[in-house]
Amino acid sequence: MRRAAFAVCALGALVAGVVAAAAGSRDGHRPGASTAQGALPAMVRPAFTPGPARPLAPAPDVSRYVTVRRAAMARRGPAAASAPVARVSTRTPEGTTNIVQVLGRREDADGRLWLRVALATLPNGRSGWLPRDALGGYASVDTHLVVDLSRLTATLWKRGRAVFRAPVGVGQPRWPTPRGRFYVRNRLTRYAGPTYGPIAFGTSARSEHLTDWPGGGFIGIHGTDEPGLIPGRISHGCVRMRNRDILALARLMPIGTPLAIG
Amino acid sequence: MTLTLEQLDRDEALLESIAILQGETRAGFLRKAALGSAGMLAALAAPARAADSVSDVDILNFGLRFERLQATFYTQADELGTIHKMPAAKQRWAEVLGAHERAHVRILKKILGDKAGKRPFFDFHGVTETDDRFTRTAVAMEDLTVALLAGVTPRVHDRRLTAALFGLLTTEARHAAWARNIVGTTPAGRSVDEARTLDSVRGTVSRTHFIAAAPRMTSRRSRPRFTG
Repeated sequence: MRRAAFAVCALGALVAGVVAAAAGSRDGHRPGASTAQGALPAMVRPAFTPGPARPLAPAPDVSRYVTVRRAAMARRGPAAASAPVARVSTRTPEGTTNIVQVLGRREDADGRLWLRVALATLPNGRSGWLPRDALGGYASVDTHLVVDLSRLTATLWKRGRAVFRAPVGVGQPRWPTPRGRFYVRNRLTRYAGPTYGPIAFGTSARSEHLTDWPGGGFIGIHGTDEPGLIPGRISHGCVRMRNRDILALARLMPIGTPLAIG
Repeated sequence: MTLTLEQLDRDEALLESIAILQGETRAGFLRKAALGSAGMLAALAAPARAADSVSDVDILNFGLRFERLQATFYTQADELGTIHKMPAAKQRWAEVLGAHERAHVRILKKILGDKAGKRPFFDFHGVTETDDRFTRTAVAMEDLTVALLAGVTPRVHDRRLTAALFGLLTTEARHAAWARNIVGTTPAGRSVDEARTLDSVRGTVSRTHFIAAAPRMTSRRSRPRFTG
């Protein structure tokens, strides 16, 4: 009986306290200013709240490349016993990190991952399988460059939209620019000499005729000191642009961009 | 194979973040970096400075780096098709966590504005490419993030930022529990989560091994040798 009486008194005191606190609040008391009367401190408003969580949007025009972490032999199939195709090094002839475009992925019977990659070797257009552990992190691009050998133009596409177009100079009939699918693998700047203009992109394409060219006869996309020759069939196989065009392209085209020449 | 801290974080962006949190200036960090790995590890092992001298921006950048790590991890697994091959319930788990982490990155970048650190280059060593490796890594990563946020949140000066980080912390704790549930482990293994000091973050960092040196794809002053 005594316990029940105590409980009723305690409840009464609690209700009185809450009512008093509420009255204080109505009277202009800042909530939380007085904890002595039993009111809780005011909640601290968060400085930020993350926005809505969005699922990934479909990205149909994305292509991926990986860096070459250690030199390795590309093979015809995803197995260590498969026939060798070409050795892939960690550096390009220009000293930049070598990258390879990713075309596929498979796990072998031992659970080892392999990637099928586009190779920067002759004959052009070859691919091979590299062990995943020889390769580094993925990067992706949503651009691709198309060089039209009949119209003598280069067009950069981004997510299905043409964002750049310029006239180009391509290989002379005796040193034609190779046709096929390649990728951009580095960018050179601030070199001496005006021949290549202010910027030169290295690609995975190689001349099938100038195989003894220093550096291996790789095809570049670059500026020029002879803008009057563009458009035309004027080069040793490289794709030349006027300097203002190559500078504009450089602002839009990331390394790793796929390149179609045809 | 044991990976060293230098191998794991070759662009030193993460090390620099930690050094700043521990009281180094950027210049001081670079001086120690020049001493080599021994000097670097000694710097990381040094006791943390007084809490009130660490800026909130440093702490938020530290958080951004780890949120980016997580967001890239889930996004990459999604883009590579690893998540789409999972059973429906697991797929939903991975997609929801990825979407949350991307939202965290967006808000931290917005808050930091031009003070946001640069995006590191990530190399996940193939763990985003198979279901098993992805799942095991996700469990470890979610636990790791909870420990990191629990360690740094009390060091924030601004109470409103602290409140916001608590929001991230509790969400990350739910992620960790969900991840553990996915692999059949007890979602809450202990009665209390271990508080991690900044000193102990060093050990945590050595377990990330996903931040790599950015590839060098532009060469300056190297004369082109293309066919021309």
